[in-house]
Amino acid sequence: MTGLASPEWGGFDPARTRGGGWREMRHSFVTAIRLGWKMEANWTDPFLFLIYSVAKPLASALILVVMLDVISGGAKPEYRAFVIVGSALWSFVLSGVSGLAWMILDDRERYRMLKYIYVSPSDFLAVVFGRGVARIGVGAMGAAITLAVGVTFLNVPFDVGRIDWPLLATGMILGVTSILAIGLIMAAICMQTRQDSWSYPEAAAGALFLVSGVVFPLSVLPAAVQGVGLLSPLTWWIEGVRLALFPGGLSAVGGPGSLFGQLTGTAAPTSSEIVLVLLGTGAVATLAAVAVFRTSDRRAKDRGLFDQTTGS
Amino acid sequence: MTARADGRRTLDRPGRTAFVYRPTASPQEAAAWTRRQVAMTNLRTVVGRAYPRIIGLRRDKSWVFFEVLLPFLATSAFVFVYRALQAPPQYIGFVVLGGAMTAFWLNVIWMMAQQLWWEKSQGNLELYFAAPMHIMAVLFGMAFGGFVMSSTRAAAVLVIATTVYNVSFSVDQWVLLIGVFLLTLGALYGLGMMLASLFLMWGREAWHLTQLLVEPVYFVSGLNFPIARLGVLGSVAISILPLAVGLDAMRQLAFAGAAYPIGTPSPAIEALILGAMVVVFLVLARWTLLVLERLARSEGRLSVRWQ
Repeated sequence: MTGLASPEWGGFDPARTRGGGWREMRHSFVTAIRLGWKMEANWTDPFLFLIYSVAKPLASALILVVMLDVISGGAKPEYRAFVIVGSALWSFVLSGVSGLAWMILDDRERYRMLKYIYVSPSDFLAVVFGRGVARIGVGAMGAAITLAVGVTFLNVPFDVGRIDWPLLATGMILGVTSILAIGLIMAAICMQTRQDSWSYPEAAAGALFLVSGVVFPLSVLPAAVQGVGLLSPLTWWIEGVRLALFPGGLSAVGGPGSLFGQLTGTAAPTSSEIVLVLLGTGAVATLAAVAVFRTSDRRAKDRGLFDQTTGS
Repeated sequence: MTARADGRRTLDRPGRTAFVYRPTASPQEAAAWTRRQVAMTNLRTVVGRAYPRIIGLRRDKSWVFFEVLLPFLATSAFVFVYRALQAPPQYIGFVVLGGAMTAFWLNVIWMMAQQLWWEKSQGNLELYFAAPMHIMAVLFGMAFGGFVMSSTRAAAVLVIATTVYNVSFSVDQWVLLIGVFLLTLGALYGLGMMLASLFLMWGREAWHLTQLLVEPVYFVSGLNFPIARLGVLGSVAISILPLAVGLDAMRQLAFAGAAYPIGTPSPAIEALILGAMVVVFLVLARWTLLVLERLARSEGRLSVRWQ
């Protein structure tokens, strides 16, 4: 037998339909990351790409810094660090959530390749995740530069020697996994909606922004909304990274009048509590994402949505 | 065969059908349209291009959740930032006003500026240029449809947020406020029409430019805070960005007498700036479209997708 020809005995070889397992999936994933990165970055020179990548998170942080300065006149430096870290980390969320959803919209509506990707031997989920990871890479650049600008130009107090590296590494791994899970849910939703859904991932991220303690402590929210925030893995991810980078800083989860304080009787969560809750909420989000994606996938196949294009 | 099926509009006018406006002796004579014919075709183009945007509101209801509820929550986040800082109540109002106006800005950059490039990617643009209509009519149709779409979202965010966060407006000059609002929309959509041609020429960079025009423009427009706080940067924004000047004028008019750093021109002067922007952007839109059409025809790039 050679190449794609039939077996010598002339029949159908079912082994060919089984694929190459993990090795092949890893290959699809890595290829999708490379493809995603090239699609993001190869249209211009690296400097211009850097400007585009950091302008968005940096401007978001500056909006909040000016809001803070208008009211407090620079009297709350600890709050400035709180806002900068939250804004910087949020660029991961924006890029992760929109990355997966836009992969569906891009390939279905713009390049019209989604149906071909779907029927290719590559695992569809691996391709979707790979493209999302490439966009998270862009978000990471934005986050790093926003933090650097905050420390260098906005007087955010930062000491590399005080960083809690194990908490930072664990928090980032679990957090990025949770972001990808939420992105997968958005991808599943965009599979069902029309072309105008480009702004939906950002709208969803905007809503999560409210309940995740990104730029203000959850204690200013009504108790029920705080409860929703405590169920979000993003809240615990940001809390963990903030604690790792600025030990002893302002807590978004705890503090006076917080639901967390009322439930646990403690002022703020410890590192181990943060990791445990992040692990639990992240696992629930991941399982929910896979279930939602599989359901959406079946419905899209059933209704022919993979090759649907819409206009407005 | 019925009259409609064989293309006849009226049976009492021999030779005149839905496809033949008047019987002519030659193709050249048929191509020489009357003014009325041109005007009616362009009007139909405006209606036809606005139609999918308006009818889409009824056909796909997901926008109610994604374009009303979720943006309201995003606006709420900034309200709570001010609450955490114990800011005076007028600042909550600034956030609500800014949250409502973002609906128009997002519509302008996503569904105006990027649209022609998008149409090119989908293969529609060459049909637009080949059709016997003015491409400005297509842009006006896009703008009108987009305006209707965005108005629903902006009104919903404004009403819900005003009620939930107990925002109280203090308006002394209603006529000027309404005038400024309409001029802001005119300037925004004029800018969108101009950007539509530029984005088409810039190709793939357009996608990234769209991203660049969200948060950075929110920042320099003083979306959630008085723009005077930005100093020179704010002054520059007021002179070139309709969102910045419109928001500042509306803020001054909707919160008359409220204490906050102003330091910007009066609403009447800002209305004049907006009026000038409307004219300039529409003229530039027309000019860039001509340049684009010439380039597209001479270089044959209309049918080259995904560049």
